[in-house]
Amino acid sequence: MSFSTRRRVDLLPYALVTPLTLFIVGLALVPAGYTIVASFFRVQELNPPTTFSGLDNFRRLFGDEAVRSSMGNTALYVLVGVTLSTVLAIGMAVALQHRFAGRSILIAVLILPWALPGVVEGIVWSSIWDSNTGLLNSLLSSVHLIDHYQVFLGQNQLLTILAIELVQVWQITPLSVLLVLAALQNIPGDLYEAAKLDGCSSWSVFRWVTLPLARPGITIAMVQAVIVTLNVFDQPYVLNGAASTGASLTMQTYFISFQNLDFGEGYALSLLITLVTLLVSFGVFKLVYRPVEF
Amino acid sequence: MTSMRNHTRGAVLVTGVATLSLIVAGCSGGGGGSAASTQTKGVTITVALAIEPPPRAALDAFTKSTGITVKWTNVDWDSLQTKISAAATAKTYFADATDVDWSRVGQLGKLDWFYPMENYVDTKAMAADMPQLNSFTSNSHVVGIPYDASFMVTTVNKALFAKAGITTLPTTMDAYTKDLQQIKAKGVVQYPLNIPFAAAEGLSTYWYQTTAAFGGTILDGKGKPQFATPDSAGYKAAQWMTDALKTGLVPPGNINVSDSQGQQTLMAKGSVASTFSDYSGNVGSLYDLPASSSVVNQVTYLPTPGVNGAGPNLSNPDGIGIPRQAKYPAAAAKFIEWFTTAQNQSDFAGASGPDKVMPGFFIPSRMTGLSELTSKGKLIEGAQLGNLLKGSAPVFPEGAPAWYPQFSHAVYTNLHAAATGSMSVADAVKAIADTATKLSNGS
Repeated sequence: MSFSTRRRVDLLPYALVTPLTLFIVGLALVPAGYTIVASFFRVQELNPPTTFSGLDNFRRLFGDEAVRSSMGNTALYVLVGVTLSTVLAIGMAVALQHRFAGRSILIAVLILPWALPGVVEGIVWSSIWDSNTGLLNSLLSSVHLIDHYQVFLGQNQLLTILAIELVQVWQITPLSVLLVLAALQNIPGDLYEAAKLDGCSSWSVFRWVTLPLARPGITIAMVQAVIVTLNVFDQPYVLNGAASTGASLTMQTYFISFQNLDFGEGYALSLLITLVTLLVSFGVFKLVYRPVEF
Repeated sequence: MTSMRNHTRGAVLVTGVATLSLIVAGCSGGGGGSAASTQTKGVTITVALAIEPPPRAALDAFTKSTGITVKWTNVDWDSLQTKISAAATAKTYFADATDVDWSRVGQLGKLDWFYPMENYVDTKAMAADMPQLNSFTSNSHVVGIPYDASFMVTTVNKALFAKAGITTLPTTMDAYTKDLQQIKAKGVVQYPLNIPFAAAEGLSTYWYQTTAAFGGTILDGKGKPQFATPDSAGYKAAQWMTDALKTGLVPPGNINVSDSQGQQTLMAKGSVASTFSDYSGNVGSLYDLPASSSVVNQVTYLPTPGVNGAGPNLSNPDGIGIPRQAKYPAAAAKFIEWFTTAQNQSDFAGASGPDKVMPGFFIPSRMTGLSELTSKGKLIEGAQLGNLLKGSAPVFPEGAPAWYPQFSHAVYTNLHAAATGSMSVADAVKAIADTATKLSNGS
């Protein structure tokens, strides 16, 4: 009797995790495995049949000028996006670290851009960057900083990427702020009091107490920024169309898969993006993360 | 102890049911193994289009007369194209009737993703009343039925032209260009011409229409480029468009302006005096609406200026077809037949009052529908549009090639690059021609 009861109790945890496991296996691992395998096959809807092609999809990807150009663009998106969002997140989290009137409301408002879909943000910001009727041109013109309207998107590659990435930074920074803020909340107050008694300046406290102890939160914030910026799609697609000045790697995946109907090459590019995301995330983790114990 | 055992059994039972549900849900969506039904009574079909549905009363009347209930799904155009491709590739059902864009007819025909419409409706009889039906034919099969009659047309702001002292509207490209220069020189507007140079489909369409105005075509019947040499119409069109930007006829900011954006924020606001390749129906649905326009009653359609007189108007119609994975293709065909009747077409466009209007629907694809609308005086400049529609021509007389989306991508990205100055017109045209040659050779 007792043996039978123990067996039933032991089954419970497995039963509880089974739905989730099936969910993850069915919706993440199986498609991921399929993508890995299919990336070594020639899967072209317009030129059947599907045949094994080895590394041919990857060779064609690296020979495609549009893909190579998008690699450069995406690297810039990651560099600008991760740097800006992290710096802003640390600054804003420090500002929000101490309680003040209206802090909760401010945090609630802060999170709004993160909740908006990328396409909506692209549309909202297009009315700011618009070169004929945009808000920014109107503003700069009214304060006589420019004598004629400027073209922010599409003309100059660096300016285009910066303008587009600012929109994404606006979207991802709120989550980064919350992640860093959560880490800051864990720092014991007596450490700050001790630093104050030792005569540390505000900068020294930030440099030697806040920053090192917030590293776990900063790492997670940076990794999520890496993942999101490496996969940027909505903002460049809405703001700059298919132009090479701003096209990202995930946009190329879309064009290759759904315009050219070359799914094999699309799978290969998806796999490459995943691998690069993993590598860069791991690099960030090794570089920034340090275990913290209080 | 017994209670704990019961709780455990309950928990295991609940998770077991949840697991089973997941498996059932996961397995039921895909596969596409279910055979299509010929049933037309008592069924519900899903219609997925990038447009608002017809009035509820009209759909209810259809259900009453046929026993077919319509579930309408409005999906934006880009997402819809992705869904069509994804569902067809995975051989999965997603709708019984959906969008067939003219530009994808060759691709859809080759891939056999849609049922031939001639198996379900009398397409030969329809052809006599639908001038744009030939844009939906691939390999002798009709892939979709046009449900509106969009085509490219030149629009001009008469008031701005008159302000510059132009009383006779231009009929040739030379006269048109000179008029635009005169409008600029007289300071009526700083930039008189709207060309949407954003790297998007609208730029390709603009170039096709301008090429037709210069008296040429884009591809021959075998898909070979007809625009590679400087004396070709396509080359001249590309040069004319980029020159217009560089000489200040087009606003510099148009580098990143899409077709609809330019029509709404420039043409409808009187910032520019003309759009060479505009959409038919825009006068009534945009420029003459006080809520969205500051140029009410100022904009008119112009027979497209050509080399020696009026040039052709290229078709840009929307169609509807039946995907191979449809559950009820026969019922979907009945719906398409009903949806494209002359009476419904004219009703949707406003011939019988606002109650029967289908939001976003502008011009009937049937000439009889258009005639009724015009005779009732419900279509602004209907007579002019009717004449232009009769003379409308497909962009690709031999049918859009299967690789059209890839070709169009090359067109708009390279023309955009030429406009920004990052490549010359010669290099842009060469890149587009090389893409067409490569794709038509099957590589």
